[in-house]
Amino acid sequence: MTAETFEPLDPVIHSPLRLAVLSILLSARQADFGFLKKATEATDGNLSTHLAKLEDAGYIRVKKSFREKKSLTTCVLTDKGRAAFGRYLKALESYLPVRAKKP
Amino acid sequence: MNDDQAREDIRIIKAMLDKTRRAATESGTLFIVWGVLITLALAGTWVLGLLKEYRWEWAVWVGVTVVGWVFSAVYGYRRDRKSEVKTYAQIAARHLYIACGAGFLLVGIVLPRLGAYSHEAISILVSVVSGILFFVMGGLYEWPLLRVFGLVWWAGAAGLTLVKDNDRILLYTVLFVVAYLLPVCILRAKYKREQSRT
Repeated sequence: MTAETFEPLDPVIHSPLRLAVLSILLSARQADFGFLKKATEATDGNLSTHLAKLEDAGYIRVKKSFREKKSLTTCVLTDKGRAAFGRYLKALESYLPVRAKKP
Repeated sequence: MNDDQAREDIRIIKAMLDKTRRAATESGTLFIVWGVLITLALAGTWVLGLLKEYRWEWAVWVGVTVVGWVFSAVYGYRRDRKSEVKTYAQIAARHLYIACGAGFLLVGIVLPRLGAYSHEAISILVSVVSGILFFVMGGLYEWPLLRVFGLVWWAGAAGLTLVKDNDRILLYTVLFVVAYLLPVCILRAKYKREQSRT
C-alpha cells in the first residue's frame, strides 16, 4: 500500500479521548459527563477540554441542566458528528493491512 | 498513523461500545415485580376457580394490573432520572414494554370485559403478547435465548387451546414459570455479572 492510498484522518476525532467519547455517543442517544468520565477514565479538566473541542466542531451538543439540585452535563452526538465519525472509520480502514488472498 | 495505531483506535471504539452496552443492560427488576404480581393473580384465579367464584377473577387481575402499572411508572421515572447513559436499545425497549403492557391490559381485561371473547381465551392471547415481548427483547439485547423463550410462549399459546377450565390455568402457570420466571432469573444474573465487570 502506498502513502497515496491512505485517507486523511479527521484531526478533531484523531485523539484517543475524543474518539472514545464519540464511540460512546454513537451507541447512546445521550450520556452524562459522569458516565463519560468513568468510561474513559479521564480527569474532569481533560474531559471538559476535549468535549469543548468536539462541541466547537459541531460534532456533539452539550446540554447543561440540574438534577436534584446538582448541575448535570449531558452530551449528544449531532448529525454532523455522526457523519464525521463514519468518515473517520472509513479512513481508519485504509490504514489496516489488506488480508492476504488465499491462492 | 501506522497499523498499530489504527488497531489501537479500533480497540478504543470496541471498548467504549462494550462499556456503553454493559451500562445499559436490563436489570430485570420490573420483570421480577410483575412476575410476583402475576404469580399472585394466577394463584388467586386458581383458588377462585376451585371455589367456583369466577365473578371475582376480573377484580384480582385489575388489582394486580393497577399495582403493576403504578410501580412501573414510578420505577421507570426514577430510573430515567438516575441513568447516566440512555441507549437506543433502552428507548426501543421502553416502548416495547409500554406497548406490551397496553396489549396485556387490552387482551387480558378490557376486551373480555367488553364481551369481545370469553375469559377462557385470555391466557392464550396473553401468551401470544408474551411471546412478542420476549422475542423482540431477544433482538434488542442481542440475546438469542430470549427469542427461544418467545417461541416457547407461542407454542404454549397453541398448547393452551388443548385444555380447558382450571387445567388451562394450571398449564398457563407452568408455562409462566418456564418461559417467564426462568428467563427473568437468567436476565437478572446476567445483569449482576455485567455490573461486576463495570
